[in-house]
Amino acid sequence: MSQDVKLPLDYFKHASLFWTDLLHLMSGKPVALTSVGPSRNWANDAKKVITELIDANDDLIEFNQRLTEYYKQLSEAWAESQKKVNAKIPTIPQDVEHLEAYKRVWIDIFENDFTQLFDSGKFGENYGKLVSAELELSRHWENITNVILHSMKLPTRKEIDEVYKELHELRKRITKLEKNEGKTNAE
Amino acid sequence: MQNEMIDPKLVEEFLSFTKNVTEAPKLVPAPDEITLESTPFDVVYEQDKMRLLHYKPLVEKQIKTPFLISYAIINRFHILDIQQKKSWVRKLLESGIDVYMIDWGTPSNIDKYLDFDDYVNLYMDNCVDFVRKEAQVDNISMQGYCTGGTIATIYSAIHPKKVRNLVVTAPVIDGWKDTTVVSNMAKHMKIDMLVDTIGNMPPEFMYYCFSILKPFEQGLEKYYKFFKNIHDKEFVDNFLRIEKWLSDTPPIPGELFRQWMRDIYQENLLIQNKMYVGGKQIDLKNITMPIFVQVAVGDHLVSPECSMPIYYAVSSEDKTMRVYPIGHVGMIASSFSQKQILPELCQWIKERS
Repeated sequence: MSQDVKLPLDYFKHASLFWTDLLHLMSGKPVALTSVGPSRNWANDAKKVITELIDANDDLIEFNQRLTEYYKQLSEAWAESQKKVNAKIPTIPQDVEHLEAYKRVWIDIFENDFTQLFDSGKFGENYGKLVSAELELSRHWENITNVILHSMKLPTRKEIDEVYKELHELRKRITKLEKNEGKTNAE
Repeated sequence: MQNEMIDPKLVEEFLSFTKNVTEAPKLVPAPDEITLESTPFDVVYEQDKMRLLHYKPLVEKQIKTPFLISYAIINRFHILDIQQKKSWVRKLLESGIDVYMIDWGTPSNIDKYLDFDDYVNLYMDNCVDFVRKEAQVDNISMQGYCTGGTIATIYSAIHPKKVRNLVVTAPVIDGWKDTTVVSNMAKHMKIDMLVDTIGNMPPEFMYYCFSILKPFEQGLEKYYKFFKNIHDKEFVDNFLRIEKWLSDTPPIPGELFRQWMRDIYQENLLIQNKMYVGGKQIDLKNITMPIFVQVAVGDHLVSPECSMPIYYAVSSEDKTMRVYPIGHVGMIASSFSQKQILPELCQWIKERS
């Protein structure tokens, strides 16, 4: 197995799962004798939570990389704009009459440079990936929450979504039926 | 030596500005204390969270064909009636036009499966039928603003007989031609993953989109102007109303958002007549009624290039397009719109009603 597992994170994940599984199997009989009800599921639930947390690590790394790139793009644009402002400032007299002109120059240069950044492919691409990484983290959190909800015999997000969908279909059908009934009555 | 270098007027300016900031809470109400609705209306029809508003007439003589406004799905309808002097609705009423407005409401998690079909063929169609019945007419005039313009366009393509005149104000039509920051972000978004994970599009995401549109003008300069003009009652009132309106944006139903991003911004199906709503293919050539297209040169939310293709895509023989030297919001809530845009629009509607 050790030959297959190359990355330390993968090995850590494998080792965690191995010991969780093994302990679960080894303690299965004694636990079954001593525990009642939901506590029997505890080891299984704990395994699912641990797996999610380990998997979330990869996405956390991706998220941090994208977030760093995001702030890097912002700070580079800021530095570049400030350079342009600094180059232009000596041409504007430093008195109250020209305060407005100074402000205008500052805003125009920053606005222009930042809009260019936000319009660029590199910003759009990184931002898209940043959002995706954040969504992956949300999914892990949701999966963990679902394990907890399931253990408490409460409906999970998926089950609630099914109810929402069913309600949506029903509302739609009822409205269409009411509409058709209205048309028939009018005739 | 240092004192000689600082212009005393600069110090004076700084002190005056600081005084304004300190005095601000005494002089102006908090945004929460401001009521945005200024023209009286009745809620005449409701379905789920959607409401149909009917504005009370302001003049005795009214034209027979009612005018239904389909507001956008971003922010709320109040911008069309933000204050008496800049109210789009009030001007229409003063011209004898019978105004109805769709308030799409504030969707919650239970509404995440609402899609274009629901908005167009259920909510909007029910509103149109209600108005037709109440006004005893076969068809009505319709205006759509921004994303509401897209919904009105799709509706008119599916139900052309129910629409006598169509007015589209900065509609989102040709996603690939949109040159705004919103379009750039939409192109790089994994939309299925986004909707499947978070459901409805939360207001916070919308705020982010707005905040990157003009970050320095909108994020710094306008607040500087606010404090600088803190003693100007009209300026402050207008500022706070717009601010309150900007900060109040409802979530967008997940399925509607998915279809919007994918079909309009990413795959650009609407302008190619390849988009499907409720199982029906949307053919813009079905739009044969008189159409008035309004776009703004300075629109940084929906670029003119994105809206204008509707003018060329429809079959209408009677069509008008106007390009105004103003921005997205200025087109519907400004002194310019009161003096230039609305008189022309009211005349256009009257001649065709």
